[in-house]
Amino acid sequence: MFDISIVFDYIGPLLEGLWTTAWISGISIFIGLILGVALALTRNGKHPLWSRLVIVYVSFFRGTPLLVQLAIVFYFLPLAGIFVPSIVAAILVLSMNTAAFQSEILRGGFRTLPKGQEEAAWSYGITQWQCFFHIKLPQVLRKTLPSLVNETIDIIKNSALISTIAVTDLMRIVQSYSSTTYRPLEFFITAGALYLILTCTVSYVGQRIEQKLIQHQGA
Amino acid sequence: MIDKAILELVDIKKRFGDNEVLKGINLKVKQGEVVSIIGGSGSGKSTMLRCMNFLEEYDEGEVCVQGRMIGYGADAKGNYIKAPYKCIQNDLKDVCMVFQQFNLWPHMTVLENVTTPLKLVKKTSKIEAEKKALEVLKKVGMEHKADSFPSQLSGGQQQRVAIARGLATDPKIMLFDEPTSALDPELVGEVLRVMQSLASEGMTMVIVTHEMNFAAQVSDNIVFLASGLIEEQGHPDLLFKNPKSEKLKTFLASWH
Amino acid sequence: MELSIFIEYWPLLLSGLIFTLKVCSSSLIMGLLLGIFLYLFSTIKNRLTFMIYRAYLTIFRGTPLLVQVYLIFYGGPLLGITLSAAEVGILGMGLYVAAYFSEIYRSGFNSLPKGQIEAAQNLGFSKRQILTHIQLPQILGLIVPSLTNQSIILIKESAILSIISVPEITYAAVKMASETYSVVEPYIFLAGAYWVINFVVSRFGNWVELKSTHYLATN
Repeated sequence: MFDISIVFDYIGPLLEGLWTTAWISGISIFIGLILGVALALTRNGKHPLWSRLVIVYVSFFRGTPLLVQLAIVFYFLPLAGIFVPSIVAAILVLSMNTAAFQSEILRGGFRTLPKGQEEAAWSYGITQWQCFFHIKLPQVLRKTLPSLVNETIDIIKNSALISTIAVTDLMRIVQSYSSTTYRPLEFFITAGALYLILTCTVSYVGQRIEQKLIQHQGA
Repeated sequence: MIDKAILELVDIKKRFGDNEVLKGINLKVKQGEVVSIIGGSGSGKSTMLRCMNFLEEYDEGEVCVQGRMIGYGADAKGNYIKAPYKCIQNDLKDVCMVFQQFNLWPHMTVLENVTTPLKLVKKTSKIEAEKKALEVLKKVGMEHKADSFPSQLSGGQQQRVAIARGLATDPKIMLFDEPTSALDPELVGEVLRVMQSLASEGMTMVIVTHEMNFAAQVSDNIVFLASGLIEEQGHPDLLFKNPKSEKLKTFLASWH
Repeated sequence: MELSIFIEYWPLLLSGLIFTLKVCSSSLIMGLLLGIFLYLFSTIKNRLTFMIYRAYLTIFRGTPLLVQVYLIFYGGPLLGITLSAAEVGILGMGLYVAAYFSEIYRSGFNSLPKGQIEAAQNLGFSKRQILTHIQLPQILGLIVPSLTNQSIILIKESAILSIISVPEITYAAVKMASETYSVVEPYIFLAGAYWVINFVVSRFGNWVELKSTHYLATN
């Protein structure tokens, strides 16, 4: 019979799993953002070879399933003689995956920035790096915030797949308990609820930041 | 004593693809002079102005600011090669531009807009920069809006902040690219008043404008551009009252 | 690289590919239709129904697809319904993608200026005429890119069905890898297969978009 109280016996490890999912997602998004900015710049940059490499990279990570990407990195690395803990492989793949998506989001942001912003910076002798950090990047991040928040939520959901490469995240823990207690329904509903807490929090924080930005800059 | 030109254009040519927009521009601007560039759309006025601070890279000729050619250096064989970013910026440090679209940075307050070039380029301290910023904002009448964002200001207010931003860098030459064309008519006056006071204080100004009356009032030299060449130039009294070229006559006729 | 193993396994891979296409197209069709129903549900001017709509969206867009699929997989028998793994997959993906499709429909309809509908009403158009002659033709071009993107996302997500043993392409490639002890060939093939499918879907989407917006072309 359906009995949700069984979940409370395991609440400790479940919350640990939630935390694992949360911090792995967080680190991946952060690395992905930095890498994404670098990719976006290279893509728009002046070297055709690097630009094309970025196109191939983005095409691969956006055109194939995350599950396949995880499997490829997990199985191919040992073949090349590189042995890393599963968690590192998971963060590596998640970061590279989200970087591809974030780079496209940011690229759109950079493209639609009015050229006049740069021209004004030029006319004061502001260097290109200064212009990028103080003028372009702040504006692009503000503009693309909603899309970046959505991407963050996607990574949190997708992180459930790292359970397939032996990382003890929330999904993995839920799977193992559901099979040992023969209570899959209770545990998976709990899993859903816990993931929901993460994604709703991110969504809420994103909205608050957006509101603050609108207030701040008036309209 | 010969009046040395603070800004000089020698035989400037500029092409966009197959289209030759500037066909050979020659202009001398003396220190303290106010020059207005007028002409129909497509005559090349903005391109000519933007060559002066290398926002457009001219193809032939020389643009000299304070005696130094900007944008290009000569290599061993005497061929022109594009100068490095730092050199160009160094040669242009006393030139600043005010844009038609104001180009204020929307994510910064008015105060931050004015202090940022000082902090980033002249490496001024925050306190010094803010002091200077409030000074120039007061000059253009915008110091009460120092903590507002550009989106909260009218067009005329934004343009005045843009002028202040330029003034804060202590320029010797100010370039104005149709500064009032994007403004609602009732806001044009406040910007022109600021420009008028700059002119009377002896600022060297090159202005591309459609405001004929203003140009006549404030300029020492009017340059009429048509099809990429200077058709006629001279003191406003002479030019507007006794236009010599046919094109200028037609152009002026369409303004009355 | 041992290409000879493909000779033995190409039937398995081909049937996996076909199964993937079948499962994905079924869930996409289900999603498109269910999405319409959900969108209409969202237009009911009732606070409670709108809250139910938003709850549906939050649950299906805020939790991993894998969790949703597991819940149907384990929950079905408890409700007395027995579904095959494939049916679970189609149902799960259909419910999931319908949430996204209905929001795409909603933003499409909301983007039309009210004035157009008012003008048509003024001229005596019936509700159905307004829909078919004014709203749909304009909205189609707008929503097709989003629908295409979401379809591509779904096709990539379908890889997780391999976890519940649905015999689609990922399952086939994993089987091949475990039986031949080779990882490079099957996984590279797998990545390539998804990439090609997504490329084709993307092109198809472009074609549909072009066809539905030819009224915008200026000559």
